[in-house]
Parts: sequence; C-alpha cells; structure tokens
Amino acid sequence: MNKFELIGLDRECFTETLSNGLEVYMIPLTNKKNYFISYATRFGSDILEFSKDNHKYKPPLGIAHFLEHKMFEQEDGVDPFTFFSNSGTDSNASTSFDSTQYICFGTKNFTSNLKYLLEFVNKPYYTDENVNKEKGIIAEEINMYGDIPDFKLEMKLRECLYLKHPRRMDIAGTVEEINKITKEDLYDCYNNFYVPNNMFVLIVGNFSPEVALNIIKEELAKEEEIELPVIKDIKEPDSVKTKEAAITGNIEVPKLAFGLKVPTKDINLSDLELDLYLHMLTIILFGASSEFREKVRQDKLMSSIYTEWESIEQFRIFYLVASTPNPKKLTDEIKKVLVNIPVDEKTFERIKKVWIAGEVKIYDNVDMVVNNSYDDIIKYHKIIPNRIEMIRKMKYKKLQDIITKIDFTNTSIVKMTNNK
Amino acid sequence: MDYIKKDLGSFNLHMINTKKFKTITIKIVFHTPIIKEEITKRNVLSDILLQSSKKYHSKRDLIIAAEELYAADIANHNQRLGNYILTSFNLQVLMDKYTEEGNVEKAFSFFSEILFNPDVKNNAFKKDKLEIAKHNSLIALNSIKESAVSYSMLKMLEAYDSTSPVSYRMVGYLEDLENITEENLYEAYQKMIDNDYVDMFVVGNFNKREMLSLVKKYFKFKRIKKRKASYYLKEHKPRGKRLFVGEEIDNTQSKLAIACPINNLTDYERNYPLVLANLIFGGGVESKLFKDVREKNSLCYTIRSFVNKLDSLLLISAGIDRENYTKTVNLITRNLNDLKKGKFTDKDIAVAKEFYYTSIEELGEDEYRIIAEFMMEEILGLPPIVERLKKMNTVTKKEIIKVYKKITMDTVFLLEGVKHE
Repeated sequence: MNKFELIGLDRECFTETLSNGLEVYMIPLTNKKNYFISYATRFGSDILEFSKDNHKYKPPLGIAHFLEHKMFEQEDGVDPFTFFSNSGTDSNASTSFDSTQYICFGTKNFTSNLKYLLEFVNKPYYTDENVNKEKGIIAEEINMYGDIPDFKLEMKLRECLYLKHPRRMDIAGTVEEINKITKEDLYDCYNNFYVPNNMFVLIVGNFSPEVALNIIKEELAKEEEIELPVIKDIKEPDSVKTKEAAITGNIEVPKLAFGLKVPTKDINLSDLELDLYLHMLTIILFGASSEFREKVRQDKLMSSIYTEWESIEQFRIFYLVASTPNPKKLTDEIKKVLVNIPVDEKTFERIKKVWIAGEVKIYDNVDMVVNNSYDDIIKYHKIIPNRIEMIRKMKYKKLQDIITKIDFTNTSIVKMTNNK
Repeated sequence: MDYIKKDLGSFNLHMINTKKFKTITIKIVFHTPIIKEEITKRNVLSDILLQSSKKYHSKRDLIIAAEELYAADIANHNQRLGNYILTSFNLQVLMDKYTEEGNVEKAFSFFSEILFNPDVKNNAFKKDKLEIAKHNSLIALNSIKESAVSYSMLKMLEAYDSTSPVSYRMVGYLEDLENITEENLYEAYQKMIDNDYVDMFVVGNFNKREMLSLVKKYFKFKRIKKRKASYYLKEHKPRGKRLFVGEEIDNTQSKLAIACPINNLTDYERNYPLVLANLIFGGGVESKLFKDVREKNSLCYTIRSFVNKLDSLLLISAGIDRENYTKTVNLITRNLNDLKKGKFTDKDIAVAKEFYYTSIEELGEDEYRIIAEFMMEEILGLPPIVERLKKMNTVTKKEIIKVYKKITMDTVFLLEGVKHE
C-alpha cells in the first residue's frame, strides 16, 4: 500500500493497484463519524460504439444509465437498498458522461457494507422481465429532466458546441432508445466495462485503510483482468457547430447559455496545470467579485449564474448559464469581457488566497472530499497531493500566455424565451 | 461537542464547541411571527443588507472585503417555521491558525458592519440598491413555475388552506413588492433589529471566554425581547371529503402533491412515533410508497413523503404520467390504509429506527445541521440527543399505528403535464 501526504491539509492518502488493475484510493478522516464508499467504472454515456474480437457493439443510447438502474436487481432477490438500510446506511448510484458509480454512506457496519457493495456490483442479473419493468421508471426520469428549463437549455448548448461528440446527448438517452434496450445489450456492456482494470474504489471518512484494503483484496483480487474493447474514436472538429440558436421554454424570465470551445493541442501544459489556469481565468472574469458581475448587477441584467469547465480529450469547454431579462444585452456584456480581458496581478493574487482557503474548507466535509477526489481520479488518474502548493505557485505571466492561445470567438450562444 | 447557552439579555448566545472543523461558523437568527404581507419586504431587506453597507459601497466591494478575510463566506436566508418567519445571516471564516492572527476578529467586525451599519441616509435605504434588491425579488417571483415540484406544492397548499401560514409563498407577492419604499424598508430594518427575538449560534473550536468577549464587543442589541407566540400552527380539521384540484402546465411530466393533516398529536407522538411513521410510509428507498408505486408498479421515478412537525402535516410528492393519476392516488391511499391496519413489520420499524440513528450520528459533521438541531431542540422543547435516542428505541408498533390513524388524506393536487410543442 502506498501512502502520501495531502500537503497543507494534515491528511494522508493511501493507494494501491491490485494485480488485476483495480485501483484503490483511501482518505481516512479520523475525526469524522461517517464514511463514504464509491465503487466505480469508467463507463458512462461517452461510449457509444466499441469492438472486441472482430465484433462490433452499438447499444441503444442511455445504456450506461440503464445498466446502473438494473445493477440493483439481484438473483437472490435481496434488494441492495434493503441490505444497506438494515444498518441505516444510505445507498445510491449515478451515471455521468465518463463513469458510473455505486455508493453507500453511513456511520455503521463499515466492513459488511463495503463487502456487500463490491459483491452486488459484481453480480449482474438481467432478465427480460426486470429489464422491461425499468423502462417506465427511466422514462419518467427522462421526462422529469426534460421539463427542467435549465436542463433543456444546456442540452441545446451542447448540440451547438459539439458536432460529433456524445456530449451532445443526454446521459439517460431518449424514451424511444431506452425502450429498445435488451438484457443482451446490458450483458455486453457489463462484461466489457465492469472489469477490474476499468474500475476503482474510493473511500473517505472514518475507517481503517488496512481493514478496507483486506476486504477489497478478498472480494476482488480473484477477478481477472480482461482486455478492454476498442472504443470508436471520435474526431471532434475545433470549431463550434453552431454559433447561435434560440429555443422556447416554459419560463417567464428568459435564459442565456454561453459556451466557449477551447482546443488544447496548441497549449503546452499538463492537463492539471491547464485546468488550474482556466479555472483561475473564469473566476477572475465571471466570479462573485468580478467587474462583470458588478456591472450586470447595476444594470439588472442577470439574476442567477452558473459556470463550469468540462474536460474531454483535446478540448476544454466553458459553460455559463444565466437568467436574464435581456439576453441580447447580457450577451454583449459577456462578449465585451472576452474582447478585452480584465485581468490584473492584484486580483490574480487575491483569487489564489480565496481558492486556497476553499481547498482547506473542503477537508471539513466527507462528501466534498469524495467529489473532489473522484474528479481527480477521473481526470488525472490519481489524487493530487499538492494542489494548494500548485495554486500558490501559479504565475500571472503564465495566465497571460494562455490567454493569447485561446480563440475567444469560438463560442455558441443559446437564448431561451417564453413559449407562449 | 460541548454546548453552552448564555442569556445576554437582548439575545441568546449558543456556543457549540467542537474540534471537527477548521472554521468558525456564526449564525444570527431573527424570529418574528409571520405576516403574509410582510414576507416580500423581509426578502428584500435581507438581500439589501448584503448589497452594500456604509463602509462598502457596492456588493463587489463587500465581496472583495470578504475575500481578503481568506474567503469568509457570508449568506442570508429566510424560512417559515410554524407561525414564525426566521431571517438569518451567517458567516463562516477559517480559524486563525490556518490564516493569520486576528483574522477571525476582523471577520466579526466585518459581519457586524453589515448588520448594524446599513447603507442608509436620512432614515432611508439608497434608491439604486433598493432597485437591485427589488429586481432580484421580482425575478424570483416570476420564476416560481420553473421548479414544477415546488410549484405544485405551493398551489396544493393554497387549495388546502389559503388562510394558514402553511400556504404562504416564501418567495413573496408582486403587490407587496410594489409597495416597498426606501423609507418603509428602513422602518422594517429597525423593527427587526429592535423587536425581533434573536438567537446567535457559534460553532467551532474556540476558547469560550474569548468568544464571549468577541461577541459582546461586536454584537449589541439594545432591547430585551420575548418570544411572542407559539410556533405551532393551529390544527387543520380534515374536510370530511377529499378535495381534488389541479392545473395544467406545459410539461411532459405531471406532479402530484398531497396534503394530509395530522390531528390530536401528543408532543411525544410528534417527536417519536411520527418520525418513524413517515420513514416507513414514504421517507426513502425502503419505504412503502417507493417499493410499491415505483419499484412494483413502475409509475414514477420520484415519490416521497415528509412531515412538518410544527405544522402537523404530512406531505406527499410524486412525478408521474397524467395517465397514471388515478392509479397512483389509489395506490397511495391503499398504502396508508394498510399502515393504519398495522400491515407493516417489526423489521420495517427497525430499519426506520436505524435511519434515524444514522441521521442523528451524522448531525455533528455539518455546522449548519448542528445549529438547526440546537434551535429545533429549543423550539420543540426536546430533551438532549442521548435521551431522545433512548426514547426512539422504545417506540412500539402500536404507537406508530395510533399515529397513522391520526393522518387523513385531505387535498390532492395534480399539476397536469400537457405538452404543447
């Protein structure tokens, strides 16, 4: 077992890769009463087509999410929710673009819960009957999200930004597509992607790493490493697909979604460093203390804002979603900021201080440590031990260099207005 | 975790000492009996106090000042609790050992500036700041349909009893917004500071004597206040026959919202058997509603029930297809009737108790849950946690059945999804 310090946080991280390729990450927080376990596979909605042994697979859309729901079906009839509930432990699962995770969290029965979590995810049981039963439930889940204006807007923006990439589409698929899913489709995906060399375990909170690792080895060391299928490569063009679009929705206050597509092949930085600088840039431009926010507040141009960076191979994509009485004017204000980027060294240094304080606070909360570490594992295949140091060492000059390498006109804008 | 309450005359100071966090968290809560026409003003008031102060002329200046204190967090919140509206302001700042000597004190001074030194002139707030705060409120008012679940709940509760505070819209009302002026908002501010009952909570790792002197130095309320009325809402008598109401919305999914008043609850039932009764009925993935309506009949993705102790009310919410409306309502009715007849097992009770224990154990891991816990303990007159765990442990099936029998399904509302696209 490897052990390293999380610098500046008084915490340690324990890691191990089993001989079959399964990765284990553990961060004990000894002053907490609760624990959180995640067992995950790098299989999400990004994978649309794959091949192995001269066989091509193209399952219906939404298969990863469907599979996640059906994992809770067990041959012995025991409902995993029920198992965890016996000790007052919560359990759940979620599917994203790049992964699917099964989680349990609570304060009691750590060993038996960990053991059971690993066990049930390794025992698929799909029948025609149980697959069909799930279709109604998932259809309602798709309908629920489809009715949320912000979700609809984000999906439209994705269609504008991406030409080919699966991130153009809803993780859950469509009602029509999920109705085509069969138990054979589920087994094909399960057998190819739920294999130790494509999965990892992350544990945070009150537990002993030695005890946990022993259980993990007991349960999973016997699983065999299997050659992963070849995933169909997608060539996403550098430019956005559509610059502007307008949709209607069931809303009173109009909304605006703005996306910036940044191809990264010409920016010579590691993934992590690039992410740090891009994050810094958009905090300075659109964060709570930005000049932009003060201007749109004074002009009453914006009532809510949400921003995020997304990573895919060869690209970083920035999302900004806002409610605004005047989408046209707000668009102009965003563009103004990007034409004449208002960064200065003093702000740069202040944001560093704010950011470091935020990193320290994360370690007061088990859930936040889980989210942070999960992200690290997916994006960088490791937990970053020295993030605070890296933030402290960021150079203003480097940010200026990066700015010159970004085409700030490679954007998509979607406006949403009332449908009446 | 070590708890001390101090009556400082004009307000109560609750100090919760714990080594769990790297931060100091303070929450100041203003309690006053809720008046429907005043909700909007209260929202605008708590917003405008965070827009600027005498020292910081814009929200940007204010946020930068907070950032300079190593990212001190400051926030406001309004909520209804039974017959009361609670307006709270909170501050969270890293302990000095993670920043620099004196940073916490500077943060206290900053927080005090925001609360006690508002940006006013001639007994009136500034016009431009009021416009910003009113605009924020207006947007919130105009966006209520965006969350179909909360909108369905709100419309259902208005049909249930439009005279009861349970139906008041916490987002406020357009006609009240229009009547807010720079002057009457300042009057409301003074009234809040001078007349509202005040609780102050501090959570973190600190020296109690030092904390007490810091609090006394930066937080001074002139008047001594008393709580004015009971927090408990008047019981709602079921109407005898169920009320079915509805409204259309341009969505694919329909939302079902149901109100079930609970009558003649004893204090014991409210705090113990009722909690378990709700967990068994619709409180989670192990509940009767989840198992039957979702898992067995595939009628929905979400379904849950929750109780409001001070309102003596159990609420049910589900997202369904309109075609399945009658079927879903019938299933919910049947499940409740089965429970009244005692059709649940000792295992169901044991699982509900385990969930309760876990939630109590996890309390101490979140600063704001700790604060909410001590506040509710006082309002509901609850004994300390250890004693409550003991009491919960001895709740019997008979007692839970007795509570189910006091629950009546009264108002059923369907926000009917009819897609026009």
